[in-house]
Amino acid sequence: MTKETEYVIEVDKLTKRYGDLLAVNEISFTVSKGEVFAFLGPNGAGKTTTVEIIETIRRPTSGKVTLLGMDVTKKKHDIVPRIGVLPQGFSSFDRITVRETIQYYSRLFCCINTDIDGLIELVNLKDKTKEQYKNLSSGLKQRLGIAIALVNDPEVVFLDEPTTGLDPRARHEVWEVLLGLKKEGKTVFLTTHYMEEAELLADTVAIISKGNVIAMGSPRELIENNANYLALTLQSVDGKVFEIVRKMGFEPVLDNHKNVAVRVGHTYDVQEILNAIKDAGALYLGLDVRKPNLEEVFLKLTGEALREDPPEMEPK
Amino acid sequence: MNPRIIGANLVVKLLNFSREKTTMFFVIAFPIILILLFGTIFMSQDNVEYHLCVQDLDQTKSSAQSIKTLELDGKFKITRVDPAVNATQYVRDNKVNLVLIIPKGYERSLMQRMMLSDPNASVTITYIYDPSSSSVSTKMQILNSVFAGINQTMSGKPPFIRSVERSILTKKYRFIEFFVPGIIAMAVMTLSLFSTVDSDTELRQKGIIRKLSTTPITRTDWILSNILYQFILGVICTIAMLLVSYAVFNVSLHIDAWLLAFILLDVFAFVGIGMILTRFAREAQSAAAAANAVSLPMMFLSGSFFPIELMPGFLQKFAKTLPLFYVNEGLRAAMVFEDNMAALRDAAIIGVFAAVVFILGIVATKWEEDK
Repeated sequence: MTKETEYVIEVDKLTKRYGDLLAVNEISFTVSKGEVFAFLGPNGAGKTTTVEIIETIRRPTSGKVTLLGMDVTKKKHDIVPRIGVLPQGFSSFDRITVRETIQYYSRLFCCINTDIDGLIELVNLKDKTKEQYKNLSSGLKQRLGIAIALVNDPEVVFLDEPTTGLDPRARHEVWEVLLGLKKEGKTVFLTTHYMEEAELLADTVAIISKGNVIAMGSPRELIENNANYLALTLQSVDGKVFEIVRKMGFEPVLDNHKNVAVRVGHTYDVQEILNAIKDAGALYLGLDVRKPNLEEVFLKLTGEALREDPPEMEPK
Repeated sequence: MNPRIIGANLVVKLLNFSREKTTMFFVIAFPIILILLFGTIFMSQDNVEYHLCVQDLDQTKSSAQSIKTLELDGKFKITRVDPAVNATQYVRDNKVNLVLIIPKGYERSLMQRMMLSDPNASVTITYIYDPSSSSVSTKMQILNSVFAGINQTMSGKPPFIRSVERSILTKKYRFIEFFVPGIIAMAVMTLSLFSTVDSDTELRQKGIIRKLSTTPITRTDWILSNILYQFILGVICTIAMLLVSYAVFNVSLHIDAWLLAFILLDVFAFVGIGMILTRFAREAQSAAAAANAVSLPMMFLSGSFFPIELMPGFLQKFAKTLPLFYVNEGLRAAMVFEDNMAALRDAAIIGVFAAVVFILGIVATKWEEDK
């Protein structure tokens, strides 16, 4: 008998080594039922290794991982029918159509009641059902991959870099599908190196760098705890604004477009700066005040930017 | 093992194959081309007729009769050379490899021997030949045996040693009948080996194996469906080859369950070898090179194209260590000699080999990521 716990995924001091290379270093976290959990980190941070260990594809060097209350190293055959996986760089048989591919994976799970048409509709591939896999664009292939990950109506869905390499339009199409899953209350484990993807979709984000989880929480918590400031940007016409802000004791930065960017602690700091500019008779053409995003959190925590591969163009 | 999963995988593989027109063409057309090509060559060897140039310097009834005799023997197609022509120059100018010269006085000497029983009466037939030609020695051997027969008859005494030919086969077979089983064995080997290596490395490189490892399909299901798929392709390929062989060459071959058994054993053995190669040569190019390194010696040394008796002794011994040799021998035992015991012996040998490499192949096939 397997033990069902309140957590769908429990990772405890998970370590994975490839020879001398330490890919994952004693990481621990939990994922609750119905939660969208995002693993955010640059390429080579250990995201895919971790998710593949949870998916039962790889074996850990040490540590314990339980999925749906079962040890992933011992209960592969019980776990696999209950999860859905979109692996990184998903691919399928070139000359099999969209419908046939979904039917094939459905048969592998011995599902006799799979709603093939429903899945096709969910991923918006209705007009591509007779198209062979090799003729699909990258975005359509990923959407097919998501449909395949859902053929067995899984309790947990793993999506490893579902939008990597897609152009912005295709990425947004995939996000719409993922938002649909979130609405349905599916437990989703997502790995990504796109901050906006994590911010948009995830209930919880774990930031991983060099095999270590360096921060975890909701996007709001992560930002509040690690980047508790406001970013004020003033579109100036000359150097006066920059000088006024600097003399007030802030640390402004002037970019090539004469934008003055400055971090302030509170909203009344913004008001104070605007008043000072007005009093000095200086001009600005526009202003922007916003809270920092996960990118800034990541930069602060790791000192490195998230690398982004150039997007693949959609075939016409 | 789950028959539904095996069936689903088999259907996808067959669908994928049926839509790959180029692959389908080469899988079926290549062995048929081999059958047509080698069949045509070997069929003409069964009824070989040599071109022979004869210069009759005697120009008598007897010399003409002798030339007619050579022609009627069926081995030679005669071209008569003008007696005024220089025979050596004729060979050079006309790119022929042999001119037989019947000397002047042929009929006179013949009459002396026949009518007057003069033992000293004789003639010398001259061969003007080009030694660089490969077939000229065969022609001269045939001519010598014809002339030896004439001498024997003229001596008036019965020959001391006679010979009689008795085939071990009840029917008379042509070389094409021995050739077709070898090509079937070779084609099924190539199909199984290359298809396994190509497909496994491609699916691994594309990440499809990784995706499949997150579904309930097991390694055993996957391998069994692959065996079934290769077996079906092997049977389709064999049927195509047999149809062409019957239609074009009117072959006489015995078809029974042994044929299917040997196709299955051939598939098991070479899918097993393919799985082992895929384990050690993970890139598509190196895997294809490794498959070539295995298949080429098999093709040429195991008796698919020509009998191993034509090879040096040490190569014959080596040939008997090759699995394809036993598939060839087994198929010929079943389809040509109709010798069930010999077929059983060869099936047992290839069966043991297939079981060993297949088990090693299963062990070598990694389903989970191993790095």
